[in-house]
Amino acid sequence: MIKNIVNDLGSRTVKLCNDFGRFGVFAIDVFAVMFSTKLKMKKVLEQIIYIGIKSLSIVILVGCAVGAVLATQSYIGLERFSGTQFIGPIVFISMVREFGPIFAAIMVIGRAGSAITAEIGTMRITEQIDALQTLCINTHQYLVVPRVVAGTIILPLLSLFCSVFGIIAGYIVSVYLLGINGEVYQETIRTHTELFDIVNGLIKAVVFGLLFSLISTYKGYITRGGAKGVGIATTQSVVFANVTIVVTDWILGSLMLK
Amino acid sequence: MITITNLKKSFGDRIITNGLDLSVEDGEFLAIIGRSGEGKSVLLKQIIGLIEPDSGSVTIDGKDITQLHGELRQEVFRKCGYVFQFAALLDSLTVFENVGISMLEDGVEPEAVRPIAAQKLIDVGLAYDVLDKYPDELSGGMKKRVGLARTLMLKPKILIYDEPTTGLDPITVRLIHELIKQTHVATQGTTIVISHDVEVFKFATHVAMLYEGKIIYKGLTKDIWESDNPYVYQFIRGLADGPIKQLGIVKEG
Repeated sequence: MIKNIVNDLGSRTVKLCNDFGRFGVFAIDVFAVMFSTKLKMKKVLEQIIYIGIKSLSIVILVGCAVGAVLATQSYIGLERFSGTQFIGPIVFISMVREFGPIFAAIMVIGRAGSAITAEIGTMRITEQIDALQTLCINTHQYLVVPRVVAGTIILPLLSLFCSVFGIIAGYIVSVYLLGINGEVYQETIRTHTELFDIVNGLIKAVVFGLLFSLISTYKGYITRGGAKGVGIATTQSVVFANVTIVVTDWILGSLMLK
Repeated sequence: MITITNLKKSFGDRIITNGLDLSVEDGEFLAIIGRSGEGKSVLLKQIIGLIEPDSGSVTIDGKDITQLHGELRQEVFRKCGYVFQFAALLDSLTVFENVGISMLEDGVEPEAVRPIAAQKLIDVGLAYDVLDKYPDELSGGMKKRVGLARTLMLKPKILIYDEPTTGLDPITVRLIHELIKQTHVATQGTTIVISHDVEVFKFATHVAMLYEGKIIYKGLTKDIWESDNPYVYQFIRGLADGPIKQLGIVKEG
């Protein structure tokens, strides 16, 4: 019984290490291609539109909801010790440092990351990727690099949109529903926040963009096992990307604590 | 010339090629026959570099591709064209983009690629107006022709077909066989075809039979019907009884 558990644990650990190793090799290959070949700008733009522009509405909607909730919950806490004038900076700092990047990433993973894995996975199982290889086309340059570059560029912008609309929603809720003075909301933001708060959030968003796009493309690229395999790869891609983003958020947040 | 020596490949416990040896001369038209699930496609994919062998060598024009990497390896594969069993067209691209993809990816302007792609389509017996269609608007036979046109864009010296007539009606099968023969004559290169269909013997110069991971027979097509090899005898006549074991089938009684 114990021997079986140890065996199982051992084989799972070896598999996990193998998976990490393969992902590492894939990422190194992608970077090598990215910096050694000409970037296909048309494909990058197509992906920016697909990953970014088409995710904008959902990111703004979520940003507004998060900002509104943040303002309401902050009000409940701050009112207990007469600190409601600090709702503005709390909403601002939370949105730009934390919720903007992370909610933009989660939304993009759900909408575009899953689609990227499913698309590349389907290409893999229908031999389309093999066909590209036989035509001497670099499949990383053709399929992976444009998506990784687009994801890394667009996520900081989506994060900014998420944050800005969150702060605006927080303002509307604070001023029109909770009775906070609008001038105070803005003034406390000006006096209690810094440029580094925004830079902090943007750095996180760049890393999230890079990670989610690498994971999504990798899971698609290694897909096996027909339609069921595509389904499994897509689910794994979304789960791994979300978990990775949340863990990375905590690590980066700790490193950039100020 | 292609020379395969002691090629071994397994997937888990399943042995696919088991010390396989084969040589294909320049200009040869070789048909490879064998049971379904025998590993013919895996053999071809090892030749074209899509699957790495566990051991052994695959030499194309004197260069062992198992020892080559990067650009040197690509240089060898540029001589090879592979036509997939189900065409493997990129379904998000039009026929034009599929056929012209190798040139378009090299940065050639679409306006310059279009007439070349159109000519390749005409060469494989398709009309110009399919250029702007998507693969899902084409029949199985048309897809295979587009797949061939796409491969021919690279002007390969070695053309490899993976079961090119699977799933097609008898008339289309005949037309595809004719097309393969015409292409072989026009390119004056080497052609390797996997087929279950003995019709291909009308065009092939040589036939090789794959059985249990090895080439158990290779000879001139004209001699195959007189072959005394019991495996070849049974296979080409489609006999139920004989030395060939049916994969995954348990005989009753």
